[in-house]
Amino acid sequence: MKKRLFSILYMFFLTLFFTSVVSGVKLYNEERIAMNQQVKLLRVVLHVLRIPVQEGASPQAVAQIFAERVKEVEVRERPLYIAYAEDGETISGYAFPVSGQGFWGPIIGLAAVDPSAAKLLGVAFFRHSETPGLGARITEERFTGQFKGLPLYPIEEEEKIFYLKAEGTGQAENELDAITGATGTSRAVEAFLNRELDYFLEAIRPELKRKG
Amino acid sequence: MPKALKSTEIFARGLWNDNPVLRQVLGICSTLAVTNLIVNTLVMNAGLIFTLSMSCLTVSLLRKYTPMRIRMMAQTLIIASYVIVVDITIAAYLPDISEALGPYVGLIITNCIVMGRCEAFARNNPPWPSFLDGLAMSLGYAAVLLTIALIREPLGFGTVMGYRIMPAGFTPWTIMIMAPGAFFTLGLLAWFLKAYFPHVAEEKKER
Repeated sequence: MKKRLFSILYMFFLTLFFTSVVSGVKLYNEERIAMNQQVKLLRVVLHVLRIPVQEGASPQAVAQIFAERVKEVEVRERPLYIAYAEDGETISGYAFPVSGQGFWGPIIGLAAVDPSAAKLLGVAFFRHSETPGLGARITEERFTGQFKGLPLYPIEEEEKIFYLKAEGTGQAENELDAITGATGTSRAVEAFLNRELDYFLEAIRPELKRKG
Repeated sequence: MPKALKSTEIFARGLWNDNPVLRQVLGICSTLAVTNLIVNTLVMNAGLIFTLSMSCLTVSLLRKYTPMRIRMMAQTLIIASYVIVVDITIAAYLPDISEALGPYVGLIITNCIVMGRCEAFARNNPPWPSFLDGLAMSLGYAAVLLTIALIREPLGFGTVMGYRIMPAGFTPWTIMIMAPGAFFTLGLLAWFLKAYFPHVAEEKKER
């Protein structure tokens, strides 16, 4: 009986000690980790909105550029980032989150359109679990760069905003290169990004018309 | 009580004679998962070296007080605490690599090498040799992972640490990027080393 009690007490104090240490380390680093994640998002927002950020800029510098040039509002319960030109008044674009099921897991990214929502400014993916070297190449500029300037308007019924075709076979303006060796990821991106763009354009176009 | 091991003997075992990956075939999960890029492998190795050495040291320090029946529970707690510390540190200071390693840092908790060494060595040996044993075993693990990464990254991406070394016309071997590539590499490596450098003990037995 005594032995058992000792075991319980021993484990209790051991757990108490180690969880306290771990909690301490966590508390000490919490702010930094939150900052890392926040700045990562800010960087991507600035990137798709084509607002230049110096290479290797500090987290504080990124946060400051963001504060000066971008305003965050909410549309249909989703964040919408409004970018302003350097004068601080002219709107230079809108960015919004896009997400969907990839080949292995969810893919989360951002897309940005020009002020009249007629063309894409850019697309970026920042959270995914696609195969490194294959599907994970959706994050590379070689892939995302193709979306810059993609026309969004007018869209024919039944037609998607863009198609991903085997590398080098795209004919029309909206036929972009898929990623060779990552057919599953390419198909998934084509499906969810078209859907998300439609969703967003539906939400924002009436607003723009009213303003314009 | 067996005679205390010399530190050279401990290192010889960890790095070669009882190498955790090649001889004991432990820690294979992470060997397959993180060896397609050298940078990721280095961070994973650092994580394991810290976790294993510190866990062995702690388990050994507590060995006289830990009741036999609950020793596994205590070991898991100790290992998990160190792993979470590593995980938090990487997330705070190396966010990109933390993202790339995903859940694998957390999975060091279940790496059989860690508990294996705590059970097999640290709980019966004084702190210093236990610490050295943890260090030696994790260095043995690190050496194998690095060797595999040095084969996989050039063949799979054409690069070493991100620098292109393969000629321009080189077609990357897609399979080397994925887990099966590591599986074949590890198998061939173990086969090669076993064939050309037989285990000392096995050799003696055969005579």
